[in-house]
Amino acid sequence: MTATSVPVRPVPRTGRAVPLGLARLLRVELRRNAMPFVLPLIALVFWFDSYRIAATLPPLWAERLYYIFGQGHSLIDFAPFVAGVAAWIGSRDGRRGLADLLATGARPRFAVQFATWAATAIWAVGGYLVFMGATLWALGRSISYGAPPYWPLAVGAVGVAAFSAAGFAAGAFFPTRFTAPVAAFGAVLACGTSSQIGFSEPSGWALILPTNSNGNFGQDAGIFYQFLPDLPIARVMFLGGIAVALVALLGVPVTAGSPRLRHVATVVSAAGAALTVTAIVLATTAQLTANGVAIPALHDAASDRPIPYTPVCGNAGTQVCVQPAYRPWLADVTAALRPVQAQIAGLPGSPARAAQIAAVFAAPSPGLGAPAGGVGQIAQISGQPAVLYLPLGALNLSGAFGQDRTDFLEAIKLQTVHAFVVAGSSYGDLAQVAVEAALMKNAGIPLATQTAVVWPASPWGLPFTVPGGNGPPGQYRYPAQFARAATRFAALPAATRHAWLASHLTALRAGHLTLAQLP
Amino acid sequence: MTAADVHRPAPEAAPPSPARAVPGWLRLAWLYLVSRRAPAAVAVLAGLGATAWASLHWHWDVAGGAAAQQAIPLAIETGAAMVIAVTCYGPFGEPERATGRWLPYLRLAGAVLLTAVAFGVLAAGSTAGGLPGGIPALLRNVAGMTGIGLLAAAALGGALGWTAPLVYLVLAEGALADGATTPWAWPARPPHDLGGALCAGAVLAAGLLVTTVRGARESFRQD
Repeated sequence: MTATSVPVRPVPRTGRAVPLGLARLLRVELRRNAMPFVLPLIALVFWFDSYRIAATLPPLWAERLYYIFGQGHSLIDFAPFVAGVAAWIGSRDGRRGLADLLATGARPRFAVQFATWAATAIWAVGGYLVFMGATLWALGRSISYGAPPYWPLAVGAVGVAAFSAAGFAAGAFFPTRFTAPVAAFGAVLACGTSSQIGFSEPSGWALILPTNSNGNFGQDAGIFYQFLPDLPIARVMFLGGIAVALVALLGVPVTAGSPRLRHVATVVSAAGAALTVTAIVLATTAQLTANGVAIPALHDAASDRPIPYTPVCGNAGTQVCVQPAYRPWLADVTAALRPVQAQIAGLPGSPARAAQIAAVFAAPSPGLGAPAGGVGQIAQISGQPAVLYLPLGALNLSGAFGQDRTDFLEAIKLQTVHAFVVAGSSYGDLAQVAVEAALMKNAGIPLATQTAVVWPASPWGLPFTVPGGNGPPGQYRYPAQFARAATRFAALPAATRHAWLASHLTALRAGHLTLAQLP
Repeated sequence: MTAADVHRPAPEAAPPSPARAVPGWLRLAWLYLVSRRAPAAVAVLAGLGATAWASLHWHWDVAGGAAAQQAIPLAIETGAAMVIAVTCYGPFGEPERATGRWLPYLRLAGAVLLTAVAFGVLAAGSTAGGLPGGIPALLRNVAGMTGIGLLAAAALGGALGWTAPLVYLVLAEGALADGATTPWAWPARPPHDLGGALCAGAVLAAGLLVTTVRGARESFRQD
């Protein structure tokens, strides 16, 4: 055989070799990545800061995920670690003085950096999705109705990718050993600032922040109506745009690759920035509706359809019906309504039945118990025959934010008594509040508890409008004259009190009675 | 030129100036600090001090209870501990350990010096007023968190030593929110509380001891 007879080796096709080479590079970077070693620490933080608290909240998706998704704690727990480790990985070549050497390699420098970032992001986002999957499974074991919202999950995943991109870019452009802790510290500050703005800004550009739950997460979303995806979609655009812009920025420097690659990277980076700005502009057009925040350009009318359900009912002297998701609290609701119903049954305007209505985000259509007078959504009695409409989702359910079963029962009693006597959002006048106090006293709430616990936790807050009342919050007491009148009215025989109410209820509701006119 | 001439300075060489006659131990210490990027660390710590001053001066408060009020000061103290933690490892590795007779003392001195600088710049930053717990709490928190960072650098490697103070920040914030009283969650204790101070001091002492004797772990995913 001569040299000329040796068969010519086929030339590998370039189009196939490049992806294969990048895939191989990605595989190497996945194996050598530092992110997996930090995931156990993130798991510890996530369990302590997010899951531990969410698991104690009432078994409704909107309640349990309020802390994790609504206030963005899942992202807050990941962001500093991901940004720091990504910065460490991104600064690797620069710290080792290899940047110039790698710029002369077979692959463009940007391709190598992209593979490194991609491996970092895959580990970080993969870890986030695994943790969230386990969290949703664990939290969902005791939730019998509905499904979790998945768009906020996507927001968190894209947010993790964005923080990894920010950290990586910081490390690549400022390759020192301090870039990692500074990037992590910056992420802590960014998340803290974002949370702070989220607590105070219910509208405008601030809605784009993934930690802003103000007016856009919770209530009865996922129970009576859908979780609106508009805002989460805008947030995905916002965070995705940041990630794209920052990663593409790595391809802009002279050492990144060919002029054509740099030109494309510049365009992609600008496109990412434009996507981010677009998302912010979309957030400024958001409108608060009954079902949540709607963004006209992203809104799908199908999202407004209510979720059909068959109510579950109990008996509290009158029929009480709730949405099936609230079945665990039906016994509490009937237990709270029974002593109140026993006092007001047969009186004018007394409810023939009680039904749960949706807790909503903003002024809904008439009849839904609109928030009014700045006190939020409250129970109302309306219709013929009269129906007591209870927005249970607007109350703090037992188990939510330090509330216990007694707090929940007392809140229902106050709301029902107030709807019956005052029928509005105001406190009521002295005679009305005294009758309320007497009815609540006979329903099992002592006067001292009313002023120290029940009123302060209600949408109305403390009844400071009662003249002569004094004391700091938690120790407030009714004025003596007022307390005597309420106690005297409560001590009347049931039949006497019932007869007096039957004859004076119209005048009492109209505000025509004074405290002295109470029997 | 003969071998005997070697001991004589070259005719054109200038005599060493008195100003450059730095004691050997000082030059060694300086070289050690430079190898750990201590000057840059001081600059970053100064930046944190400025951040502390700005946060107090312009009231960067987070709405909420005790946990929220301490969120930013604690984060800044954590940042200082994180910076100190990543100064623990050097670029020379085994040769330095094999030949550096004074290395343990240099490690100890370096860590103590940077901790003192961190406390100093943060104390200067707190002159804007309103630091929760005041200087005693600042001293306790910086000391304890630095100890955690030094221990983490020994366990996880200097490169990832910054992660442990960050974890502790979250745990401390949780302890503050929950009203926990364990002295190991010292940021949740009153500033003059002896138990919290002892725990923070013990952690710092353990961190300094481990740093002195063993130094930062260097084989753990330096990539």
